[in-house]
Amino acid sequence: MTIFEIIAAIENGTKTAEEITRYYLAQIAQKNPQINAFVEVFEQDALAQAKAVDAKKAHGEKLGVLAGVPVAIKDNILYKGHKATCCSKMLANYTAAYTSTVVEKLLAADAVIIGRTNMDEFAMGSSNQTSACGIVHNPVDLERVPGGSSGGSAAAVAAGMVPAALGTDTGGSVRQPAGFCGVVGVKPGYGRISRYGVIAFASSADQVGVLAGNVADAATVMEVISGKDAHDSTSLEAPVPHYTQVFTQDLKGVKVGLPKGFLDGLNPTIKKQTELAAQKLQELGAELIEVDVPLAKYSAPCYYIITSAEASSNLGRYDGIRYGYADKTAKDLKSYYEASRAPFGLEVKKRIIIGTYALTSERYEECFLKAMKVRELIKEDFKKAFSQVDVILTPTSPTTAFKIGEQDKNPLSLYLADLYTCQGNIGGLAGISVPFGKDENGLPIGVQFYGPILEEDKILNAAYHLEKTTK
Amino acid sequence: MITKQDVELAGKLARMTVSTEEADIYEGQLKALFGWVKELSAINTEDVKLTNATLAAHMRKDQAVTDEQAAANLRAMFGEELNDQAKVKKVL
Repeated sequence: MTIFEIIAAIENGTKTAEEITRYYLAQIAQKNPQINAFVEVFEQDALAQAKAVDAKKAHGEKLGVLAGVPVAIKDNILYKGHKATCCSKMLANYTAAYTSTVVEKLLAADAVIIGRTNMDEFAMGSSNQTSACGIVHNPVDLERVPGGSSGGSAAAVAAGMVPAALGTDTGGSVRQPAGFCGVVGVKPGYGRISRYGVIAFASSADQVGVLAGNVADAATVMEVISGKDAHDSTSLEAPVPHYTQVFTQDLKGVKVGLPKGFLDGLNPTIKKQTELAAQKLQELGAELIEVDVPLAKYSAPCYYIITSAEASSNLGRYDGIRYGYADKTAKDLKSYYEASRAPFGLEVKKRIIIGTYALTSERYEECFLKAMKVRELIKEDFKKAFSQVDVILTPTSPTTAFKIGEQDKNPLSLYLADLYTCQGNIGGLAGISVPFGKDENGLPIGVQFYGPILEEDKILNAAYHLEKTTK
Repeated sequence: MITKQDVELAGKLARMTVSTEEADIYEGQLKALFGWVKELSAINTEDVKLTNATLAAHMRKDQAVTDEQAAANLRAMFGEELNDQAKVKKVL
């Protein structure tokens, strides 16, 4: 069911919120053992929330925008009294002491928080294979990865276990798994959604995003969770549009940028689909314009240096004193720290090492400072491009979902999975991945729209129209 | 070029134990990554200034806590007090 169908069914009385929640709980019970998208289901809480919605309706009270809609949250988003582990042994026993702003907003809109979803450990990964809670299987083909790091959220939506889920996106962690699983994934521009109560990975890039079955559903959730938050000083003071009302009749007058050279050397099927998407947009009235973002190809190395440096700082708090596992057998402070930080998995340790090395006095200028400066130039490139066009069209990923374990021996190729998506985090842009066709193995292909910061309405509208051509 | 010793040193700075086996794995992977990062040196960044957000944009006014219970709840979380100071857990 879509979110619109759920809302309509509850409003007109053909279904109760409890019935809707029980339906999704049954879907999870049936499908999760094969897919492993959920690491915990909040069955009792979810049913209590659903019953509260039904009681509100029975008393004639006004219902919230998401009344009775089950929503899953990624395991790095805090919900008071519930575990939030980042799928890491480091936080295996951590229970949230307060609720994140995004969850507060969902609850205020009468949504039902149904459970927490699997993810790459501390959101570091593009395949959901680094999770301490086990690999997530792509519902389209169980032998393949769902993408990451919000792989659990994407797989849960794709398998029909939940109509929408929250993820976080630091280098493509909402959009890339959305592309791999054949669902819609939106990453807002930097500052559009509060990160209060979201466990930090890389603070200059992290954003909360939405995964849903279609663009209109994603827009509905986006509208609920967006906006300035006094608890997050990086959230922006700007009015939030009614995202579900931004869809125009057609795309006349909309300028779509096609970045020069972006499709060179790309997998032929994905290239063909991206070109077909451009053609469809043109048929809907959009004007196609070639734009030049020459330095965007350097986004991935910048991304891995900057985010790893920030991670080395952010994850310094897991020392057994402030947060995380504490090893009580240590004899002195040095061994206490080392033993308490031992639960980090291989990928997380690697990122911390990359970041720490890039921040050493010997490497600071050539690595960290250089990456920061190139980031400024990339931002400038995108700014120039957006002076000519409304949105930019790119593939979401250079490949479709690969087989579990297939890329383990070459992590650099795994890092390239973020090639098209990390540009959005380096530039602070708004981005959306929308399913557009399948490859020769029947695997979903995603295409992506970028828009300027605070202009999510433009990418939602473009994606909405492209989505309509596939129905 | 990053070496195994660099990996071990970075691990030490980050207060983590890096086993010989891990250092071997990381060394190869990080050589490839930093080779990729080296491509950035071809870009002229001489005149680039880093943009820093103005402090004012990230400031928020102090807000008085009017809920006395909130302060009491916070203090209660610590348990024991001594000379008007909260006692915290001993680490070692």
